[in-house]
Amino acid sequence: MASTPRIVVVGGGSTGAGVARDLAMRGADVTLVEQGNLTHGTTGRMHGLLHSGGRYAVSDQKSARECIEENRVLRDIASHCVEMTGGMFVKRPEDSDSYFEEKLQGCADCDIPAEVISGERAREREPHLATDVDKAISVPDGAVDPFRLVVANAASAQEHGARIETHSKVTDLLVESGEIVGVEVEHGAKSGDRVHGVQSGRETIRADHVVNATGAWAGRIGDMADLDVAVRPSKGVMTIMNVRQVDTVINRCRPKGDADIIVPHETTAILGTTDEEVEDPEDYPEEQWEVDQMIETLSELVPMLADARSIRSFWGVRPLYEPPEVGSEDPTDITRDYFLLDHEERDGLPGMTTIVGGKFTTYRMMGEEIADHVVSKFGMDADCRTADVSLPGSEEFSVLRDYMDEFGLRSPIGRRSVERLGSRAEEVLGTGEPNPVLCNCEGVTRAEVRDAISQAGADLNGTRIRTRASMGNCQGGFCIHRLAGELHPEFDEATVRDSWDDLLQERWKGQRHALWGNQLQQAMINYALHATTQNRDHDPATQPVDFAAFDSGPGSDRRLGSDTVGEAADGD
Amino acid sequence: MSDSADTPTEESFEPTEPNTGEEFEPVQVFPDEGTMDLRPGADSCTKCSTCDTNCPVAEVDDEFPGPKFQGPEQWRLKQTDDGDEFAIDDSIMDCSNCMRCDDACPSGVPLSQMHNEARGEYVDEQMSKLSTEYWRNRILANYRTSAWLASKVPRIANVAMNFGPARWVMEKTLGVTSEREFPAFATETFSEWWAAQGGAAGSRERARDARERRGEPLDADKKVAYFHGCYSEYNTPEVARALVRVYEHFGYEIVVPEQGCSGTPMFANGMLDDARRHAEVNVSSMADLVEEGYDAIASCTSCSLALRQEYPELFDIDGIEDVAENTFESIEYLRIHEDVRGALQDAEIEDELAEEFAYHAPCHARNQGLERQAVELFRDLDGVAVEDVGDSCSGISGTYGWKDEKYEKSMAIGEEMFDHMEDVESTTGMTECPTCSMQMEHGTGYDIRHPIELVAAALVE
Repeated sequence: MASTPRIVVVGGGSTGAGVARDLAMRGADVTLVEQGNLTHGTTGRMHGLLHSGGRYAVSDQKSARECIEENRVLRDIASHCVEMTGGMFVKRPEDSDSYFEEKLQGCADCDIPAEVISGERAREREPHLATDVDKAISVPDGAVDPFRLVVANAASAQEHGARIETHSKVTDLLVESGEIVGVEVEHGAKSGDRVHGVQSGRETIRADHVVNATGAWAGRIGDMADLDVAVRPSKGVMTIMNVRQVDTVINRCRPKGDADIIVPHETTAILGTTDEEVEDPEDYPEEQWEVDQMIETLSELVPMLADARSIRSFWGVRPLYEPPEVGSEDPTDITRDYFLLDHEERDGLPGMTTIVGGKFTTYRMMGEEIADHVVSKFGMDADCRTADVSLPGSEEFSVLRDYMDEFGLRSPIGRRSVERLGSRAEEVLGTGEPNPVLCNCEGVTRAEVRDAISQAGADLNGTRIRTRASMGNCQGGFCIHRLAGELHPEFDEATVRDSWDDLLQERWKGQRHALWGNQLQQAMINYALHATTQNRDHDPATQPVDFAAFDSGPGSDRRLGSDTVGEAADGD
Repeated sequence: MSDSADTPTEESFEPTEPNTGEEFEPVQVFPDEGTMDLRPGADSCTKCSTCDTNCPVAEVDDEFPGPKFQGPEQWRLKQTDDGDEFAIDDSIMDCSNCMRCDDACPSGVPLSQMHNEARGEYVDEQMSKLSTEYWRNRILANYRTSAWLASKVPRIANVAMNFGPARWVMEKTLGVTSEREFPAFATETFSEWWAAQGGAAGSRERARDARERRGEPLDADKKVAYFHGCYSEYNTPEVARALVRVYEHFGYEIVVPEQGCSGTPMFANGMLDDARRHAEVNVSSMADLVEEGYDAIASCTSCSLALRQEYPELFDIDGIEDVAENTFESIEYLRIHEDVRGALQDAEIEDELAEEFAYHAPCHARNQGLERQAVELFRDLDGVAVEDVGDSCSGISGTYGWKDEKYEKSMAIGEEMFDHMEDVESTTGMTECPTCSMQMEHGTGYDIRHPIELVAAALVE
């Protein structure tokens, strides 16, 4: 084929980013468009479990096999996004013995390394487990940071020539002579590293093929060309605990049910989840009782959860799909498998492929299958390399170093930072400039924030997902203004203020479901701080402020020298 | 609401409960033996930074990241990956363990427990056992051992320990500051004196005499086990002797059980194994006595704090909770059970103690809610005045101020206290803590007394 096929991928979640990377590596001309920031949809609202496959070993062995295969691939290509915590399926006295045996057999059938351990042994590994847990199956579950993984996929796609457009919503599909030939896009004000240099406005992007990787939103995109894609969105709640009560993934060993998993995630633990079908992926009730019930149920596995501090809760929407003829009543019965819908074959409308269903753990495999499908249409002869080439950040690196000597950082801060940055650590942290900690809860330094801003632009939520800044116990109460400060002077005052407000709102959204005990106290102190020091209990200053008229402060004549470098090294 | 609830009276005063981390039960999750998982303690932290603003070290040492970082932040960031543990930041060795952060925290974060565990782990895992710092700290922390040795030949020791060239060598090779004078060793230890007084049997007799004189039942349940600590044993037995006289005066029979160091200097230097060894001795002898109905009293506020707070936080020894719950500081205990203030109202001081005292409340006394006890106690005692010299830390914090690299900081912290002491008319100071008293003397040249000595002078002599 003479010219490079132009492909538009709609959706900046794990699937979209995975497809974009795959196609870009095979030489296609790829543009990815996403309505929010990367991971805005379901990917940013999951519990971060890297499946061993154990969860599906009884009910869905095909998915289980794919999971263990991809689990191994991701450990290799995405090492800086993955923490191999290990996992356990724990059995309480009231849970069925025969299911425990089925689970064990299922793991064996699917080649998932599994081992039975006694309750005592399980408690040695996880001392906070309930004393009456009688046995457990140990499996290679892990934790994965979905934000970092998607950002790394997008970065890799960019390295291979792709264009990534966040905050760019598809408003229509272009259909010409019975074929989909592109998308209409409306760019928002906060798009990041922009190629076309337009901060907002409409754009028509023509394409030889469109990949609809919008998950729970796939039906909406389909509607634009009168295609019926019957995604069955199903919501699930997740609650983030302030600290890790467990260091391995704890699953409850029973057939199915709500509130049966605890995933250690970075500094926190994430409790999950529920499964309830909803009409609209953007508008569904978020009920406090869902949170309360989940904490209560999971306390049966880890009793200390009942009184532990939760910092926020969020809901995610699974993009479940099943061929209409199956007709499952209960969303938990719907397969977790994925489906590739070629609209030419299915609906007689060429030019677009939709991918629905599937799981985060197998995102790369899904991407490979779509990319195979797409390149075959254009007669390209390019093999998939996404399973072999490490993602940016996951090249060989070691987290064991002398952070104070190397980067002037306190030990746990350096360690966290290097774990997040992976092989990019030297490049990001070795600036030689003063590098104070901006987010104390998560140990995020200015250098890391500036690096994230260089990718995410004015969108502080984009900086958040890249760095974890504002994701700790104060939920941004003590750092969002510092992050906003880093946007200036590259961005003007109005943009900075807007981004600052946005991130505060986003952090507040999740905390609304954690307002008791310690987190309520935190919200109160955040409010008091913001009201008294940032005028947040009054109307924002809508009149232009003449900042130049202010005196620049007593330290303004001090130049950066060795003294300030020394100060910065103390971490704050 | 009743009047009494509206107007706080001295009767309604209650010492604040030491924070013993009751919110959760820490358990061992990290691979090395004996380390507790204190991550859940970070749940109480709202980042308000009150601890940082109350930290005397952070105030003078710009490199020190402060208790919030050392405690809840570091613990929350900590974890184990593939059996490989996060290293503890070396700044933990710059914390003086004054424990003011415990008292400052409005949310009950177990700060000093977090610091102690982290420091113990740092020393165990990361500090070279061949380093000068390790041996210097170990020698300072095990003051009891040196003091025991010196007490065998007190006169020689007093000369040798302050012999200029020897101190120069100690500073150059060990990093023990030569600015300070070593405290003098008594020619007779408290234990020697106690044995000469007939020990527990003698005390029982004297207590019965006192009860008879006071018109109390002869078999009154008044018995205490005295934890004298190292300093009263070897350096200031006059404090311990005063305590014995005062308690016996009020009809208490005293026993002096087998005891080691309370562990305070060991906690501050991350020598948790040494501290545990001593704690086992102390808890074992105190627990038996507590079971027999004795209460434990200490004349050193750091000793009483160690037994009450640090023991149950750091160790799991049979009877440790009972000992913690039944331990008191000596003045505190008397004020709870006896009308000492009333007795002092009728007394008068005329001898060389008829002075104005510059009183400094030790940080560890603050943690037990005792910072006002001396001021309140002596308010109506004729012949003396007690002037509170403010709420700053004295700066020495046990071994901290003895370290060459910390000496200047220690003196900078003490600056405010020295200033206020100079404003007092006399040249006498008062405090409950032996090392605070060293610092007060070092900074001003004042003569420093323990409040129990003044009680003895007023009531017994």
